Amino acid sequence: MIVGGQSLVTSPPVFSHDGKKLLVCTGCTVSVFSTTTGMLITELEGHTERVTSIVVVPVAGTVGTKFSNYCWTASLDGMIFYWDFSTPDLLKKVNVQLPVHSFVIPNILSASLGRSDKASQNLYAFISVEDANKEVENGKHLHGSIQIYDLTNSTRAGGVLAETHKPETLAVSKSGEFVGIKKKQQLNIWRVPNKNLKSVNMKKLKLHHTRTLSCLAFHPTKCIVAAGDVSGRILIWRGFGKMRHSQDGGGKMKIDMGDRPGVRGEDDADSCSTWHWHSSEIKFLMFSSDEAYLFSGAKEGVIVVWQLDMGNKTYKPNIGSPLMYFTDSPDPSLSCVSCEDNQIHLLRMPSMDIIKSISGIKPPLILSELQGDRSRVTIGCDRSIGFVALPTKDYRIQFFSLLDGTDISHLQVIERNYDPVDETTVFISLVEVSDDGSMMSTVEEKLPEMGIGGLISLKFWIRGSHTGQYTLSTIIYEPHNNAGVSDMAFCPGRSMAVSTSYCGNFKVWVNNSSFIHSGDEIQEKGGWRCQSVSSYKEIPMTAAAFSGDGSVLAVAAETKITLWDPLNNVLVAIIGDSLGPIRRLAFVGSSEYIMSFSSGTKADLVVWNISNLSRHWSYKLLVEDICCTRSETRVAVLALLSSSDKSISAGKDGMVLVFDVENPIPVSTWFVKKAKGGRLSFINNKLGEATDGKLLLAYINGEHNYVLFDPSNVKEQEDLIPKSARRPQSYAHDENVSHGYASIYGELPSFDLTKARSSDSIPFVSSKRPWETIFSGSSHALPPLSKLCSPFLESLLEKAEKQTVLSQ
Amino acid sequence: MYLQSPLPLGNCGTRLCFPYEELDVSDLNDWTPRPWLALQNPSEAVTRPPALSTEYTTKTKRSEAMMADEATRRVFPTEPASHLRPRSRSVKSLVSTPESSFWRTFRSSTLHPSYLHLPITSLSFSPNSSLLAAASSTSVRVFSSLSLSEYDPTLFATLPLPDLAYSPSFRCDGALIAAGCENGAVRVFDLPNDKPPKTLRRLNAHSCASRVVGFPLLDHKLRLFSAGDDALFVQWDLPTETPLFSVPGAHRDYIRAGAPSPVSPDVFVTGSYDHTVKIWDARVNSGTSSVLSINHGHPVESVLFLPSGGLVATAGGNTIKIWDVIAGGKPVYSVETHNKTVTALTLAKVRDDTRLLSVSIDGYLKSFDFSRFKITHSMRYPAPLLSVAFSPTGTIRVVGTNNGAMYMGIKKKKDEFEDQVGSDDFAWSVPLPEKPTSRKNIRYFKRGQSEKPSEGDFIIKRPEKVKLKEHDRLLRKFLHKDALVSVLKTQQTTSIMAVLEELVARRKLIKCISNLDNDELKLLLSFISKKATQPWCARFFMDLAKWVLEIRAEDIRSGGPEMAVHVRNLRSMVAHEIQVQRSLQEIQGMISPLLVIAGK
Repeated sequence: MIVGGQSLVTSPPVFSHDGKKLLVCTGCTVSVFSTTTGMLITELEGHTERVTSIVVVPVAGTVGTKFSNYCWTASLDGMIFYWDFSTPDLLKKVNVQLPVHSFVIPNILSASLGRSDKASQNLYAFISVEDANKEVENGKHLHGSIQIYDLTNSTRAGGVLAETHKPETLAVSKSGEFVGIKKKQQLNIWRVPNKNLKSVNMKKLKLHHTRTLSCLAFHPTKCIVAAGDVSGRILIWRGFGKMRHSQDGGGKMKIDMGDRPGVRGEDDADSCSTWHWHSSEIKFLMFSSDEAYLFSGAKEGVIVVWQLDMGNKTYKPNIGSPLMYFTDSPDPSLSCVSCEDNQIHLLRMPSMDIIKSISGIKPPLILSELQGDRSRVTIGCDRSIGFVALPTKDYRIQFFSLLDGTDISHLQVIERNYDPVDETTVFISLVEVSDDGSMMSTVEEKLPEMGIGGLISLKFWIRGSHTGQYTLSTIIYEPHNNAGVSDMAFCPGRSMAVSTSYCGNFKVWVNNSSFIHSGDEIQEKGGWRCQSVSSYKEIPMTAAAFSGDGSVLAVAAETKITLWDPLNNVLVAIIGDSLGPIRRLAFVGSSEYIMSFSSGTKADLVVWNISNLSRHWSYKLLVEDICCTRSETRVAVLALLSSSDKSISAGKDGMVLVFDVENPIPVSTWFVKKAKGGRLSFINNKLGEATDGKLLLAYINGEHNYVLFDPSNVKEQEDLIPKSARRPQSYAHDENVSHGYASIYGELPSFDLTKARSSDSIPFVSSKRPWETIFSGSSHALPPLSKLCSPFLESLLEKAEKQTVLSQ
Repeated sequence: MYLQSPLPLGNCGTRLCFPYEELDVSDLNDWTPRPWLALQNPSEAVTRPPALSTEYTTKTKRSEAMMADEATRRVFPTEPASHLRPRSRSVKSLVSTPESSFWRTFRSSTLHPSYLHLPITSLSFSPNSSLLAAASSTSVRVFSSLSLSEYDPTLFATLPLPDLAYSPSFRCDGALIAAGCENGAVRVFDLPNDKPPKTLRRLNAHSCASRVVGFPLLDHKLRLFSAGDDALFVQWDLPTETPLFSVPGAHRDYIRAGAPSPVSPDVFVTGSYDHTVKIWDARVNSGTSSVLSINHGHPVESVLFLPSGGLVATAGGNTIKIWDVIAGGKPVYSVETHNKTVTALTLAKVRDDTRLLSVSIDGYLKSFDFSRFKITHSMRYPAPLLSVAFSPTGTIRVVGTNNGAMYMGIKKKKDEFEDQVGSDDFAWSVPLPEKPTSRKNIRYFKRGQSEKPSEGDFIIKRPEKVKLKEHDRLLRKFLHKDALVSVLKTQQTTSIMAVLEELVARRKLIKCISNLDNDELKLLLSFISKKATQPWCARFFMDLAKWVLEIRAEDIRSGGPEMAVHVRNLRSMVAHEIQVQRSLQEIQGMISPLLVIAGK
């Protein structure tokens, strides 16, 4: 089972201490990427819910390389883990019991686990947790709360610092002196004392604003805090907390009301200035490491660099997507910016050039309500190689390999400048890839303004020499006059395609182009032309499909299925009525059955027999997608469960059913999440071990997370979005047979972490069979030599033992 | 620290209020570069709806940022999409390529050798002098002094033949000429300069017309081959008049084409009306079977070895095909650009390259570059063409028609180097490998920025800058109305359509229309009233006209006489269009019963 498609931009990424690795929260795992190549190095697997924040242990001076690759992670499952992410090993678990939404360790510099000096204090973390079961007090739903947690002793330190409506994101200054949150229209800031960290000692400082705040950032050294609000303004408070924080626990000092420009009421700050450039909510603020600049970003896709003293600004435009987070690395020449389209760009710093991009699967295209159900953005899928073609917001198509989980290429479909702020008026509404992937068609729609100037055009593409490289062959403007294109289908084994439209006709397109070799380029002459136009009683045509050998074309005319001879344009037969308008058709392999489903109030799923033109079996099910294999009689159906159905557990709103077409009883069933807008497809398995031509079933859910599995192997009723591995190699043997060193010398005494901390070093907890993977992987990702040595020796021992067994 | 800052700190946080927008004091720093402030005077701003103005400010600010950096992503200008262009049925304008400019340097003239309107079946150039032999009716005429200055060639000699003459062929040294005849006899003449030509040999083997006669291309002066309608193929020994190699029944139909190999004196190719092309080797005496047989698919009219000797070009039907002989007769390429039967092929030297010239009954002469498999030039003549020849010096091209006229093109003396080309190595030479340029010269290292790239250099081009027009630049600054006005002033319909469509995509068209002042509205109205009923954009413009009239009804009413004229024009245009539609409907009503009847 292969799982992928997680979002890279749910939480801000974090650089390792040397800036060579980037830790990214990807669903339940943390992925470690190399910043030089942009490739995945390893993954930290252990959490069972979404990972929300990462804190990398910094390296201070002489402590050496021992802690160079250690980090803390917090997740919604209420656990905080301590990792060595070079191997990767899980070192420590702390159970907080409440879902952690944000998590910072202010004194991580001064107090690290396993510091040699005895005087080092306990490690305290500020956590922002969600308590959904909390009682309603005074009519307020205060779900979020900020707490202090002692990571060393795994206990809660004191009570609640603050309560918020929903869990807020914590911000910490670089020196670890201040911790703050935004709370509606105010900022709450705490100064972290050097010693004796208790919640009663903490003094809260409030700074007020007239609009709801969206983010905040602390200056690395000075008492300056910047906050952004929902209207795009940036507020800079300078010299905050001088009075309150200077006198610990003392009485209220009288605040000098004069000469404090911009500061509201009794707020404790010297001055407050406002900058305004962005037109929408500020997504991130970040002070540069040289303390001279402030970076800000919002929906426009422009990073604005503010000179802190003067307020002058320069821009880094053309990132091409709404921005989410900005992270700087310990290496001053490197930083990264996360975009809403599931991409992380690594920037070379003073010039802000994009060095590398780490891109995940593109998020689904969300259209405004104008179109309703009529136009649905569909995903193209190439079965042979296993990639999907996803329309993106910036008028492109992303080709994404499901088997490798990597982005292959991008194709500019509409030649238009993309502006993230504008609402979507031009979009790619349909992508269809032929079975062998050699041809592709796209339909793009331009919505009219007040009835003026709508345009639909159909484009045919031909594959170039690489996968995912397509060249434009033909553009057809207004293929069905004004009406929209409802479905496209390619004829297998022939360059022929059919497009159906809501205006009641369908057109068969043929490609009679010849290729002219001119130099190294291949020029195409001719192109796609309309071969025939047909209609059936002027009923809107809603779906089309070719049979496996391409000899029969089935076109759905709302509730009826009409069968045509595509070459001669002759109506062969009509199969009668389903309950509602048919959404999609599919021929079942080479058998005599055709499958259809309709949506809406009268949703149903029907299998028709072509030979006697009758209904074979049917279900009253709200179906989202169907797919059939080309050779076998297996059929996979993605059905949506109605909300009234009580038998389903939370979050699971759909199920995948696999049928044998002869039999209406499903062969196997799985429950899935977020099935709305999902797609199913059978994909040829080309992974090493299974070359027996077994088909994998790919399920892509509405948020473009996907799972690939062999439908004959995976057990029924299993959850199809598992929490565990993305790469299934570590599953091989898990039995507790003692190997190598242990088999000869017996078990070693187990290590106690607390003891180890006092005894000057952190022992590593090796994974169970490290020698199998110890030297695999790129050289920059290898663990240090001290770690490699003992398991390697151990593996030598194991070999010797095996030989002795053989000799006996 | 803070107080030393040059900002007017006392006002930090307070805002100046303009009548139409809210502005931060910190924004005052960049007061000057704001285009919108320069464009709007306050009085105009009052008439502008406030919602739009704020839109302008934030977007203008963004546009500044956009302009700063364009390197990372591609920029697409608003281009008129091709669906907007009215489809023209006119022929594409002549594109000037280096090849076409070469062919244009030929000055053409017409020549009627016989004044009898008899077809000129074959043309041939002497390999080393500028003699041209033309077979027409019962004689072969040899012309000389096809010089550059004189267009009227003088008749050098007339070779008498007993019947219709075919296929004159010069020996490699140009001293002898051979020709076939309808009665089958092949005659060999000498061509002395001062005396009339004399028949040297008569070769009698063919029983029917000997349509193909040829000397070998290499220095083999005593051999000759011939083939004819009796399907006999013979290689002759000239001194003794005896056949050396004879294949009776070489084909199953008339042999109408043949050519010697450029690399071996003993290899020939023949093409016949039985659709096949056969390669013969006189050294292999294997009876009637050929070395190689290729099926062309149509009756073969002409065959030719390409200079390498490994490729054969055959013409028959409408197609010319290139075959790889060494690879056992593999088809390499097929040219299907002629509309009627291709009648003759020849090789031509174009600058440093060699082209395959083909002529056809459809009156076209086409030049085919067989190294790139591309038709590079085509010329049209007013009559069906039967034969073609190109002089070895590369300066004269002659085509013969079926009505007795010869069309000649003589190259004007422009390229000096073309005269220096030796006669014999014209088509068959392999270019010498070029000397690598020396890098040792001190001047190579001291070359400066103005150094021109030499021929072998690989040129890395600077990425081309996208040329933005005025309206594009305004659109990038989000000044939608100004963009619309500026494009309306250009009066280019397709550009105007493109900008209007872009405005629709940005949801700004209606706002733009409502913001136009009276003069600009006149511009728009005059444009609409001209174009509203053009069929390719009518759907868009009818809706637009409706909206303009609806939104700006007040302004149009009070707009004065000029506005009234535009509206009147529009009305009359719509009335006319309705009339056209009605008459079209009448025609449809008349035709549709006919169609129904025809369908039955």
